[in-house]
Amino acid sequence: MQKLELLNLTKSFSSFKALSNVSIEFLSGETHALMGENGAGKTTLIKVLAGILKPDQMTMKIDNKIQNIYSSIQSKNLGFNFIHQELNIISYLSVAENMFLNHPYPKKYKTIIDWNKIYKLSSNALKELGVTHIDVKKKCAKLSTGDQMLVKIASCLIKTDTNPTLYVFDEPTAALTLQESEKLFKVINNLKKRGAIILYVSHRMNEILQISDKVTVLRDGIKVLTDKTSKLSKEKIIRSMVGKDLSDNFPERTGNINKNIVIDVNNVHTKNIRNINFKIKAGEVLGIAGLSNSGQREIFNMLMGVDSMTKGKISFMDQKYEPIGPSDAWKKLISFVPRERRKEALMLKMSVKSNTTTPHYSKISKFFFLANKKEENLITNNYSKKVQLKYENINQPIYQLSGGNQQKVVFSRALASNPKLLLLDEPTRGVDVGAKLDIYNLIIQLTKNGCGIVLNSSDLSEIMGMCDKILILKDHEQYKILENFKINSQDVLANFYESKNQ
Amino acid sequence: MKILNLIKKYGTLIGFFGIIIFFTINLPSTFLTAKNFINISQQISMLAVVAFTMTVVMVMNDFDLSVGSMASLAGIVAAVLFSMGYPIWIGILAALFVGIIGGLFNGFLVSIIGILPFVATLGTLTMFSGFAFLISGGRTIFGRDIPSEFSSFARSGIEISSLGLKIPFLSILALLILFIVWFILEQTTYGRRLYAIGGNTEASFLAGIKVKQLRLSAFALTGVGAAIAGLMYSSRVASSNPTQGSGLMLEAIAAVFLGMTMSEEGEPRVLYTLLGVLILGVLDNGLTQMNVDSYIREVLVGFIVILAVAFSSITKKRN
Repeated sequence: MQKLELLNLTKSFSSFKALSNVSIEFLSGETHALMGENGAGKTTLIKVLAGILKPDQMTMKIDNKIQNIYSSIQSKNLGFNFIHQELNIISYLSVAENMFLNHPYPKKYKTIIDWNKIYKLSSNALKELGVTHIDVKKKCAKLSTGDQMLVKIASCLIKTDTNPTLYVFDEPTAALTLQESEKLFKVINNLKKRGAIILYVSHRMNEILQISDKVTVLRDGIKVLTDKTSKLSKEKIIRSMVGKDLSDNFPERTGNINKNIVIDVNNVHTKNIRNINFKIKAGEVLGIAGLSNSGQREIFNMLMGVDSMTKGKISFMDQKYEPIGPSDAWKKLISFVPRERRKEALMLKMSVKSNTTTPHYSKISKFFFLANKKEENLITNNYSKKVQLKYENINQPIYQLSGGNQQKVVFSRALASNPKLLLLDEPTRGVDVGAKLDIYNLIIQLTKNGCGIVLNSSDLSEIMGMCDKILILKDHEQYKILENFKINSQDVLANFYESKNQ
Repeated sequence: MKILNLIKKYGTLIGFFGIIIFFTINLPSTFLTAKNFINISQQISMLAVVAFTMTVVMVMNDFDLSVGSMASLAGIVAAVLFSMGYPIWIGILAALFVGIIGGLFNGFLVSIIGILPFVATLGTLTMFSGFAFLISGGRTIFGRDIPSEFSSFARSGIEISSLGLKIPFLSILALLILFIVWFILEQTTYGRRLYAIGGNTEASFLAGIKVKQLRLSAFALTGVGAAIAGLMYSSRVASSNPTQGSGLMLEAIAAVFLGMTMSEEGEPRVLYTLLGVLILGVLDNGLTQMNVDSYIREVLVGFIVILAVAFSSITKKRN
């Protein structure tokens, strides 16, 4: 395969256009980087190539011949290979067995497995990539993540009849150390020399500049740039990723920030994050930003007491706060809206009432142990109204509500204790535009009442539109705190991509 | 469409009435009488107690396979103490204590160590049974060692002279336990929290519920329930043997499952568990009276349980 062309690729999810009219050309022997913010359409494009999503419209040409992908099997038969962060490695099998997962085992006399041949073929495949330090008889559990990735790549070379032609790497270095990444880049180079097409998706700007030949940038499902990497700079790429100024479309902040400090986090470490330092005043919104998986989730785990502190101190409402668990945090009037609504926040088969009152049973009860049904109904009705929930009655099971309304239940639960500090982890993920605006208005309402807010969002426009200060995380460590009114979104994004020693 | 919804919701209940009608027709003079139903209530009282307290753990999506051997062990502990000459109240307290400790041990394995309930309680099932054999020396402890005050409890009851009936204490005790479990699950914040854990364990932890402590305590309740059932059994047969509770576990779980087919979202509710127990009790009573072979009876009961659960899971999937 010399050339792979995607023409007029369009894919929409109900009314939302994930990709519109995207055309890209990939050439053999070239590493083509695909960039864009979260939600720009990168993942959708990859899933179309893998045959997992069916495009609304697309013409695909391989060496000028039209081809179709209807299923993941067809995608595999065309020689497309996908390397994700999450490797489908079976850790209790050997390297060689893992490499043969998708291939028939060679046999002696048509009956007994020919292990010698298996070991030989797999070590040959590794050698072709220039990898000699992995013993193919070893259990995969004993390999590092980086080496497991190399095994996965090499397993694509086992098949001898058709040579794999396209390798798609989806954020491959997210879980790798620097040395492991270097090894991976060498292997990618070897693949390139063998005439493969490499499609490389990553958020790490330095990597992209180092190893790619061409860059394509997507923004809101539209291709905004394709050029040779040598002609591009970091600044130019970032500018085209962000595009317009982002802080439009957000309700205006009207509340005043109070002088009283709600929480003061002083040089806190846990087993997962380091050097966290911030203060939030009453009515202030602190944004958390950074590349994905830089420690955002772990900040919330620290504040809720899921991960215990190993160093540092926190004072909350002028008192020493040592987080020991979510139960204690809720009791102290810290409310939490977790990231994954269905998994971490809701009991889907249970009622609006149960879901709203769960963290507050002790406060609602009579004599500390009797459920107080009257009060439960009252609180549920009040707060459902406050968040403008659309529902039939409070005993309705929550799976019958739309995503946006489910999220409003999570909010009404968080508000029901009149919190002093509200923790929001991706509060508008998977929520429609109308509900989003309602949620933003709620946040503003809360700041007026003197509640401090921590808001993590992978949607940069949300951070720019809602926050007073922005804490930037990098590699599970606090990198900087920026005052929002002094900067624009390009500066913030540029901070994500700066390396620490610059 | 409406009819389908009715069947979906009340299918098991309709089935229950179907069974009653069937037996009434086939056993016209003996089945549908107050005396027979009082008899049934006594027959099922031990199963009922185990099933009610089993509901407590099943609310959290856990279950306890060790209840049967716990019932055996508790009965043996009491009987051995009786035979050594200790007073009745010491024997009863010791048996209940064993129930709490055994239940806490189950809870510890499941909640603190993190073993799947299936594996953990399968292990303790064997352990408790082994202890029962060890303490009793493998033999049945007979009537002369059991104080008559203890065994007369199961034979007496409240006389209703105007009707010439006697409501057995065993049935009244089962009703009392039903009330206690219903109160805990439906009327207290503790029960609310157990249902939240069953709805979504991770979410309830993040919403401030102390999941570990609650799971631990719920298993203790189930352990006590099993011990009470063991005592009831020993009192009824005026003896204790180390395998007396062995049939209880499967039937108790079956009763809870039957009950779950009747609730709104398929969650266990103790009043529906009562219906599950009644279905099993009525089937057993009626088939015995019709002289159906006991092996065939087991096949039939198993089949009916599967039928009810399969029916409800098929109709719920369509939903």
